[in-house]
Amino acid sequence: MQLNMIVAGVGGQGSVLASHIIAEAAIAHGLAVRVGETFGAAMRGGAVASHVRMGDVASPLVKKGGADAILALEPLEGLRVGVDYLSPEGIVILNTCPNYPVDTSIGVFPYPPLERIQADLRSLGKTVYAFDATELAIQAGNARTLNAVILGALAGTGLLPFSAQILEEALAARVPASSLESNRAAFRLGLQRLEELKKGA
Amino acid sequence: MNVISLNQPGRRALLMGNEAIARGALEGGLELAAAYPGTPSSEVVEALYEARRDRDFYVEWSINEKVAFEVAYGASLVGARCLCAMKNAGFNWVMDTFMTISYTGCKAGMLIVVADDPDAHYSSNEQDTRVAAEYNRLFCFEPSNQEEARQMAAASFQISEHLELPVFLRSVTRISHASGDVTLGILPEVQNRHQLGFNKHWKLPYRWNVYGPPGAVAKHDWLLSRGALMDEIAATSSFNRLTPSPSRIAVIASGLGASYADEALTNLGLLGVVQYLRLGIAYPLPNAALRQIFATTDVVVVIEEGDPMVERQVLRLAQAEDFRGKILGKDSGLLKPTGEINTDLAEEALAKATGNLTARGNLTGLPAGGLSSVTARGNLTGLPAGGLSSVTARGSNLTARGSVSLDATMSRGELRAEIKPRITPRSSTLCAGCPHLGSYWGLKKVLNRQSEDAIVNGDIGCYEQAGYGLFTKKDLASPEDSKRYPILSPYTILDTLYVMGSGIAMAQGQAQIGYPGKCLAVAGDSTFFHATMPALANAVANQADIAFLILDNSWTAMTGHQPSPTSCRNALGNPATRLSIEKVVEALGVHDLHIVAPYDVKAVEGAVDKALAFHGPSVVLARGECMLQVIRRTKRRWQTTVVTEGCTGCKTCLQLGCPAITFADEKAGIDRLLCVDCGLCSQVCPFHAILGGK
Ligand SMILES: Cc1ncc(C[n+]2csc(CCOP(=O)(O)OP(=O)(O)O)c2C)c(N)n1
Repeated sequence: MQLNMIVAGVGGQGSVLASHIIAEAAIAHGLAVRVGETFGAAMRGGAVASHVRMGDVASPLVKKGGADAILALEPLEGLRVGVDYLSPEGIVILNTCPNYPVDTSIGVFPYPPLERIQADLRSLGKTVYAFDATELAIQAGNARTLNAVILGALAGTGLLPFSAQILEEALAARVPASSLESNRAAFRLGLQRLEELKKGA
Repeated sequence: MNVISLNQPGRRALLMGNEAIARGALEGGLELAAAYPGTPSSEVVEALYEARRDRDFYVEWSINEKVAFEVAYGASLVGARCLCAMKNAGFNWVMDTFMTISYTGCKAGMLIVVADDPDAHYSSNEQDTRVAAEYNRLFCFEPSNQEEARQMAAASFQISEHLELPVFLRSVTRISHASGDVTLGILPEVQNRHQLGFNKHWKLPYRWNVYGPPGAVAKHDWLLSRGALMDEIAATSSFNRLTPSPSRIAVIASGLGASYADEALTNLGLLGVVQYLRLGIAYPLPNAALRQIFATTDVVVVIEEGDPMVERQVLRLAQAEDFRGKILGKDSGLLKPTGEINTDLAEEALAKATGNLTARGNLTGLPAGGLSSVTARGNLTGLPAGGLSSVTARGSNLTARGSVSLDATMSRGELRAEIKPRITPRSSTLCAGCPHLGSYWGLKKVLNRQSEDAIVNGDIGCYEQAGYGLFTKKDLASPEDSKRYPILSPYTILDTLYVMGSGIAMAQGQAQIGYPGKCLAVAGDSTFFHATMPALANAVANQADIAFLILDNSWTAMTGHQPSPTSCRNALGNPATRLSIEKVVEALGVHDLHIVAPYDVKAVEGAVDKALAFHGPSVVLARGECMLQVIRRTKRRWQTTVVTEGCTGCKTCLQLGCPAITFADEKAGIDRLLCVDCGLCSQVCPFHAILGGK
């Protein structure tokens, strides 16, 4: 068994932490894991992609075209990673709330239309679950729980070889006590939204 | 008049090897030299100081080798032919800069002279720095006598400009500190100074910035692409000479080793009998000549001073060519690997290597057909006959290092190719509320207003973001020697960017050679203590007219907020002694010091203005703690900053480069998640339309 995922986002969104939480849950479930180095200047608004692999894995990086899931905390970053890594059988969890790069805000490069990003990802993979995860995080009481929303959504896909509860506990173990409740709430909102989307799909 | 500056071409004179190098460099059009003394290298610059009495060029004893190297390199970038000299140990201090500048090359010719010390006469080790030249893929001269040292130094600048890379000249004690007859060449009268200029995108985008688009790996590709030009020189230069013979034995000797081999072969009666490849270029080797040797011999003996550096290159090619004979040298145990060699040792080794064969009657065994002579068909520099312009092939693979997908079917490949152009690049930025944003705003205002030709030399830390540029589609490169580009984005302020501590010394090279614009440098607090103090001392000692901005955010932020000497806390969070940058700056002899808060952009502007007006080294110390650390401590978040109705959509605030400032529907906005209420944007808004903040 092998499960290959990439968490994509912008520095500061918590994508690296999210990838570690998935890996820790996998370890709790008794699986071997690899989390690839992250790329980009994470501290400074750069693009970040964190590879998470579990099962019969040895190397730190997902093969091109080999990602079973891409967890995109930001739409453009989802496409940036998806274009090379998404498997034709793979799924994408896509936060539709954009974070415009400085290249766009100073007018050098346009930001691709959201519908275009989704259409491109659909042509590359099997299913795209798109929703405004940032809005759900705010609903959960803290916009910084965006990564927890995405983790909840991942649990809702049924892709993981372990239960949603294992993932939620791995999350709980890694967030500060002060934001534990909002993180749990965010996780559940994400899970719930994905289940709705699956029904709709 | 000193013989070094005597313009009597053809006159023969006795010169020490180091003097011969100095003389050669002057003949080659040297304009700036910088060095730190160390035996056996010191006389290169001592001789140049003598010549300085008669000729106009810049020479300095720098504070250390790294500073000297960067001073010289800075001068090359504005168009001055330069030299930097050091001993073997001194070279180790230069390694960080040395290994990095090769990725962008140089502009005017640059000659790196390193005097090694086999047998450790004056040194604590015997290291062979030719290995570093090969490691860094730089062209490496190795003279066998003083006259060759002069010729090589003289030829270096032209070769360096042809390659757009520094040329390495490796001397040893018995060249540098020995003397020999030298025939003086022509000293050029005209100095180049009027041609000084700076183009930050010279021939390639972000040319003088290893991090600039398209990034360091593409610049590494560029460096490797220069190999073919070097091979061409190695193949045709008359500093390399192959004397073929019908013998099945070849001797390859390099540099000083060749002078011993010359004698040993003569003494043994083997000169002209065995094949003999005499090398003046230790890297790269002339592969065609080596192939010819492999095809016609059974035994190859390598004689060189130092490590088996040439021997290993020969071994490598021999393996690739499936050479079945023996390669004998230091690795094989024919010669001892430590200490110096000499004629006796070379003779002994050659006798041993050829003896057995002589006994078997192999020595003059004639291959069918004989060999055509490849001797001496090159000119001295080895540059192609058509002149420099005839050589193209520069940086052709600098762009597009897109990953090739091996697993994709063709249609998937096409799909990817269709999607990729839509993926907006995401250039990294400084953080919202970063104190460096305020410092750079003030600096940029001054530069755009009053200093058209300024060069801002960057350094390593978060603030290096200001040199990354944006990954724009525009092809900026231009071949002009001098060109000013407007500061378009907050991230295009830095003109040069290399390694820790390099910026401030490079600024000095530019200033000292007389670059007409202002020469500035920036560095952070951690970098200040790590690598810039010697360079600042150098600026004072040599009275360089530079302005140095120290961006003190109290932490080693970029690498993850380790403490710096200005943190007041150690890594356990306990109180620690705070070192005072201003006291260090003053103690180093800087008289023009301005301390400002980066969150007061007018104050920064005023301080930079004053620093640029001052003649001599001046320092602006902008002190404001890293905002991420402030937030961690105080939990401070967005509360009040708002863009009001007064916003005209002028986009001035976007030029601050703060990622919390957004722009949509012709109006600026504030990202509530990112904003930390630092107050910078409300200061820069010309319509006072942004309210709140500190
Ligand atoms: C020789 C060397 N050692 C270490 C590093 C790693 N490094 C990158 S930036 C940096 C320090 C930056 O600190 P500072 O100058 O205070 O700037 P800040 O990031 O705080 O703005 C270090 C140590 C390096 N690039 N080169």
